[in-house]
Amino acid sequence: MKTRLAILILVILLALLPAYAGKYAVYVVIHILLLSIFSLGFNLLFGYTGLLSFGQAGFYAVGAYGCAKILLAYPSLLVGIVGGVAITGVVSLALGYLCIRHTRIYFSMLTLSFGMMIFSLAWKWRDMTGGDDGLVGIPRAALEIPGLFKINMTPMENYYYVVLAFAILAIALFHRIVHSPMGLTLQGIRDSETRTACIGISVRKYRLIAFTIAGLYAGLAGAMLPPLESTVTPPLAHWSHSAEPVLATLLGGIYTFSGPIVGSVIFYLLKDIIVRFTEYWQICLGIIVVALVMGFRGGVVSIFLRKGGRP
Amino acid sequence: MNAIIRTEKLGKYFGAMAAVHEVTLALQEGLFTSVIGPNGAGKTTLINLLSGFMLPDRGAIYFREKEITRLETDKRVKMGISRSFQVMNIFPRMTVFQNILLAVLSRLNKTSSAFSSLRSQKEAVGEAEKTLGEVWLQEKKDSPAGELSHGDQRLLELGIAVATNPQLCFLDEPSSGMNPIERIKVLELVKKLAAERNTTFIIVEHDMDIVFSLSDWIVVMNRGEVLAEGTPGDIRENQEVRDIYLGEEI
Repeated sequence: MKTRLAILILVILLALLPAYAGKYAVYVVIHILLLSIFSLGFNLLFGYTGLLSFGQAGFYAVGAYGCAKILLAYPSLLVGIVGGVAITGVVSLALGYLCIRHTRIYFSMLTLSFGMMIFSLAWKWRDMTGGDDGLVGIPRAALEIPGLFKINMTPMENYYYVVLAFAILAIALFHRIVHSPMGLTLQGIRDSETRTACIGISVRKYRLIAFTIAGLYAGLAGAMLPPLESTVTPPLAHWSHSAEPVLATLLGGIYTFSGPIVGSVIFYLLKDIIVRFTEYWQICLGIIVVALVMGFRGGVVSIFLRKGGRP
Repeated sequence: MNAIIRTEKLGKYFGAMAAVHEVTLALQEGLFTSVIGPNGAGKTTLINLLSGFMLPDRGAIYFREKEITRLETDKRVKMGISRSFQVMNIFPRMTVFQNILLAVLSRLNKTSSAFSSLRSQKEAVGEAEKTLGEVWLQEKKDSPAGELSHGDQRLLELGIAVATNPQLCFLDEPSSGMNPIERIKVLELVKKLAAERNTTFIIVEHDMDIVFSLSDWIVVMNRGEVLAEGTPGDIRENQEVRDIYLGEEI
């Protein structure tokens, strides 16, 4: 009951954010929501299925470039985002088919390789991706369903509500998945692949499902970036970007539903604050992340769990 | 009686070593069968081959006269074959109840359901509760499985194995690490489950007293081959079997 009330209050605060906070705060919260979606998908693979992927930024970039190309050709926000996610779904299904045949370090290295292949494509396939210049001038097109409604997205506050709606939907769906029989199956694979196979479950099939869902979440986060920034560039696919959901999840808590969300808030705010004071922000951030991870082995959320809560 | 599982010249080789060599067996439905033999005799490898955990290099396996030689483990489970492991193999981060529930959900083909809650799976929940009671773990249902005592973890593994409602269940040293009284209790529980669930159990066990008192049929392995098989009386009288156990009273 307490948890539900806290969630309700949080949603109300987020819904009213543009009314009491400035543009920059809204911009920061959009980025936190995107990182939360990205990290949740990553944690379905890592925390729930036991597969550590270092290539999720590749799928993030596919979603971003897919959405950008669609918006440049056909300026409709909904078509852009849904199209970007759909393209990512196909790519993650295809790459997942190859990756899930392996586990542990071999899986991690494969995902890293495929992620960097996508980075190379973004860098070299100039005709399609704009090369190192990326794609620019991406419109923040109106949200419309012809004949039903059309909402202007030029004010960032309007776009914030679109991101917030997608984020709430993605988080609610994720909650449903991890507390369903399929979620329990993924946890079984994480705990013991052999035991899972020996109760009649096809481990590969469920690994592929988890991989594809994680890709879709990365794609959704990526697809919502171009309308915000009006540009997409190759570093979105770089392995260092794949490290962000890894760090956010480790900070928040691997084996908890809310860990990646809490971790995303902490990670983004830390990064945002430190970057104002020093150009060596990555060193400072690294030290803080290491200290936090060592101090809270189960992630920050584990503190609340020990007190008997259900975050 | 019909053979529930049979093999023809089954072989598994690791380099020059024959872990299982030319094993031809026909194990009967409804008989409580034990596989015995000294360490390294190939008992666990045989179970691994029959359950699909390993693929043989030679020979064939038939379950109810249907060839399953190269069939994946999960598909064999769906046909009605289950197993437990010599080294504990449970889901340690999940609760005791979830361990059993997952096996039941698998049997009911509900594991792909992504949008319904676990609590709404009433049939599976009911069956899991019943199975928990059968293996004496009802009171520990909400404990993390990894925090159970060794004996309780063995019971849980037995519970997971039977929760798929198998026709044939292999138990690889189900009472290892237990004291003699616990061993007898667990193996009597296995016999009870065999009768109530109409499951044929094939166990690997080292305690000869228990094997000879509970088994209907015994298969003796040595150096990857079947040395002898028969009723406990036949095996007790077999001189070759006595020899490999160094003249022990069996």
